Amino acid sequence: MGEPGMSVVAIQWLALAACLLGAAIRLPDVVRGRGRVVFTALLLLSVAVGLSLEPIYLAVDRLLGGVNLANLAIRLCLYAVFVLLGVRMVAAFKAPRARKFIVGPLGIAVLAATVAFTVYFFFQSDLPYSDTGLTAFADQEAVEHYSEAGRLYPGYVAACLVGPALVSVVNRNARFLHRLAGAFLALGFGTVTVFAVLELFNVELAAGMIILPFSAILCVVLGLCLIWFSKRRAARSGGRSNLLAQ
Amino acid sequence: MMAVTAKAFQLWRSRIAPDDTVSDVCRTAGIKRSTLAQQLVRGKVSVGTIIAIARGYSRDPVQALGEFDGYRDLGFGLRPPTDAELVSQVSSIDILRLLVARSEDAERTDEPIGLELAPFPHRNSVRAWVEAIDPGDLRQSLAARTGVARQNVSAQLTAGRLSPELAVEAARIAGVSLTSGLVVTGLLTPGEGGWPGDARGRALEVLTDIELVQLARDRLEVLGKQLRKAELDDGQDQAIWENLG
Repeated sequence: MGEPGMSVVAIQWLALAACLLGAAIRLPDVVRGRGRVVFTALLLLSVAVGLSLEPIYLAVDRLLGGVNLANLAIRLCLYAVFVLLGVRMVAAFKAPRARKFIVGPLGIAVLAATVAFTVYFFFQSDLPYSDTGLTAFADQEAVEHYSEAGRLYPGYVAACLVGPALVSVVNRNARFLHRLAGAFLALGFGTVTVFAVLELFNVELAAGMIILPFSAILCVVLGLCLIWFSKRRAARSGGRSNLLAQ
Repeated sequence: MMAVTAKAFQLWRSRIAPDDTVSDVCRTAGIKRSTLAQQLVRGKVSVGTIIAIARGYSRDPVQALGEFDGYRDLGFGLRPPTDAELVSQVSSIDILRLLVARSEDAERTDEPIGLELAPFPHRNSVRAWVEAIDPGDLRQSLAARTGVARQNVSAQLTAGRLSPELAVEAARIAGVSLTSGLVVTGLLTPGEGGWPGDARGRALEVLTDIELVQLARDRLEVLGKQLRKAELDDGQDQAIWENLG
């Protein structure tokens, strides 16, 4: 696989900065007990993104015993992020069908299977020393299955969310900022879906392997920031307009 | 043609303000220099700009517009507004106030009720006007004759807007005063567009009680729909903010 290029590392750091910034701007509201779910999701996403960066990964994994438990942590954090965002997105976009797919029996089954496979194949793998992204062990079959399992649940939830996000984009009555945010969310979840499908068919992605998911993260975080901004702006402009006024 | 060509505009400008620079013209008209510059670069100057400049140089805006292609018949087509047009420019709340005022007129003195009407255009001016002048297929003819897509015409009306081109063409189709559309879209003042100041009040006076009640009912129905739609949009915004904000 070789060393990731500069631009790839840059987009990873950028994604980490975006996640942290997205979480930081929500802090004042969180202190007042509002918006905790999305804040938690952004924090977990920050952890996952941070751990995909070599210096952070090696430092953290050493604390965890140097057997790549940090990689397992990335996966589990990501699943949690998709659970939290999934539940909130379907509520925000009022998408009962997508909601049924995510919190219904099928969604829970996919989540349970993904977690089970992930943990199982992790412990089946032979990972004697810390290695970011487990690239040194990529030729092991268990490691391959482990990384395949990791795309399953995120891909499933993202696929459920693309539709509702797109609907919000084409809604002419919606606020411009919400349509723009919907576009970024749709793009982000669409990318995650495509990434999972490509993996399913074993398409070789090379640098896209890292660029695709991190671009997706950037899109989703940007969408969330736009919504945060629109809420802020609405709160500042104060109250609803009086439609009975002449 | 939505706006006037930059070339025609420059010719007109050199006639009404031969010694003034573009900056002078903008200052006199009270418009931003960057706005006009942008319109000149695109080759199309907006009707609003022409009107603002005409006002700045104490010219009659209707006559000024009449010097451009697409608007040459504007001055000849100047007529008093019809009663239906006048009533359409009374806000719904004023219609209701008139109804209440008539109900309190116990003596039936038949003296005009001097209601202070809210200035117009009001919130629904454009749509109310189009409905008032519509011979039956106005939106369709409008789309066919201007080449603007029908959905686009409808979208403009829903948003309470109408481009000057469509506003004038709608008046041509309906056979009403050609300036009316520019008045209800707020481009011309009622005075400039030939709408007498007290005309709306007089148009209301001749409404019978039944007509007034039916008018009020229609207006309330429209208002109800708008409120419901606003509530729906508001509910969507709230859901997005509460869950993701």
